[in-house]
Amino acid sequence: MASFGSKVFLSLGRTNVSGVGFRKTGNRATYATALTVNSSTNKARGGKGSTGRRPKRGPGEPRTEKMALDQDWTSVYPAATPFRANAIPLPLRMGYPVKRGIPPEKKGNLELIKIPNFLHLTPAAIRKHCEALKPFCTEWPSALDTDTKCDEHFPVKIQSTDYVSAGPSIRNPSARVVHMKVRLSCLNLDDHAQKKMLKLVGDRYCKDSDILTITTESCPLRQQNYDHAMYLLTVLYHESWKIEPWEAEKTRADMEEYSWEDSTSQKNILDTLLRINLAGEGEEAEVREQLLGREEVLEYKDSVETLKNEEPSERNMLRYKEAVRKVLKV
Amino acid sequence: MLGSSQCSCWLQKPKHLSRLSRIQLPKYGVSEGNKRKQPVNAGLASRTASRSRTRSPIFSGDFNRPSAVGTVANTATANRTVYSSVYSIFKDNKPDTLFQKVVVLVKAHDRAVLDSYEFFATMAAKELGITMGKVFEPPKDIERLTLLKSVHIYKKHRVQYEMRTHYRSIELLHVTGCTAQVYLEYIQRNLPEGVAMEVTKTTMEKIPDHILEPMWKDHPIDDKSSK
Repeated sequence: MASFGSKVFLSLGRTNVSGVGFRKTGNRATYATALTVNSSTNKARGGKGSTGRRPKRGPGEPRTEKMALDQDWTSVYPAATPFRANAIPLPLRMGYPVKRGIPPEKKGNLELIKIPNFLHLTPAAIRKHCEALKPFCTEWPSALDTDTKCDEHFPVKIQSTDYVSAGPSIRNPSARVVHMKVRLSCLNLDDHAQKKMLKLVGDRYCKDSDILTITTESCPLRQQNYDHAMYLLTVLYHESWKIEPWEAEKTRADMEEYSWEDSTSQKNILDTLLRINLAGEGEEAEVREQLLGREEVLEYKDSVETLKNEEPSERNMLRYKEAVRKVLKV
Repeated sequence: MLGSSQCSCWLQKPKHLSRLSRIQLPKYGVSEGNKRKQPVNAGLASRTASRSRTRSPIFSGDFNRPSAVGTVANTATANRTVYSSVYSIFKDNKPDTLFQKVVVLVKAHDRAVLDSYEFFATMAAKELGITMGKVFEPPKDIERLTLLKSVHIYKKHRVQYEMRTHYRSIELLHVTGCTAQVYLEYIQRNLPEGVAMEVTKTTMEKIPDHILEPMWKDHPIDDKSSK
């Protein structure tokens, strides 16, 4: 109830002090302390205290009593505000209970004030906000509903990250990194250009998914990194189409794939067949050509190529064994 | 286009105006019915100066007053400014960026806060008509420190602290640039205290024109050295 001239600083967890002009300083501190200004200041003013000052009103009943059931909650909590116990008509309790007790009530509860609340983002509020934001949104083009269509028309993918956090600075140095992913099949490359591109690019190409990834982070701004990535792609493309004079010196060891024609394997098998006289009679060159056309020799060629180009597996080895057996007629 | 299109996080934009990049705010508030021309940028500043109380830029429930969105025709009377809620939304002719995927990863120390935030974000996406991909919770990270308990000696007595970081990931598919900007700005303005966010955007683009055909097609081999 009303008490003359008592000031309470930190009005958390205080009990109501009743009595006219008579002050109890026995405030029970449960979670926080409260201070009262003692009456000496009042008495020092003499009789003025009782006549000059208006009686100070108490807090009165909490606002929750006056709230209608169908009120507009979005106007009670329109923005992010700390928890106000007398403005929220819910019987909340929060905190660790003291011995043989229950969690403390919401009035003066610091735990409820500390935690961020979402009272300003009730479904009704979200709906209102989105209604107001709708005019500024655009629709996704309906022709691009599947991922394959998107890849077909827009093959270049740019990936970048933004960071939002609280701290001494809002900048984050990792925000300038740009990853650019392209499918090589979408670029206009012929055979030689493709091979040269793969050699130029090295590790950045993933064979299984046919995606070339260019990551740029050397420039200080994201726009600059994006431009740099585009520049790199352009340079790679045009350089891979160029045919340099020294490329004619490409040896067998530089080849990306193993080819059986004119290899030592071919020479060996033909020599072996001629030696054991499995071939027909005739000129050597003609005989060699005839041998190459034979079915077992072709099968042998296939098995050797799979062994060299693909990863060695049980199946490939067995196939090679069968082919050798057939060729040598063992 | 006003504002810089590169910084997609609203925090990096100039503080006095939050501009949605595809929406042009006219330099001078011209709309049919309002003869009195007022420069919008100056108008905003004068508006905030003339009002007695300061207005927070956060959504404060006045949805008819587009302080951060659109333009408002400002009819100024002698000492007071009266607003009429006439919207003028201007559209650019530039093509909108297309995001194949926007992944929003939120990090916090409290799981309950992230639960509520996830509800808010998913509902907002649904209301704005954005298709959602996966919404899941990556496993939490706990960083532990072991420090000496005492200031001097007593090596055998230590104290251990830990910091728990909980995550929540929301994936949005097939979003246009305008919609993404609106949604992300809304989400980020309502980010609670102590929560951090990382937004990873994957943009789709066509192959640039200068890569469609090789330069040397008509002049194949150079005898001079390259570079």
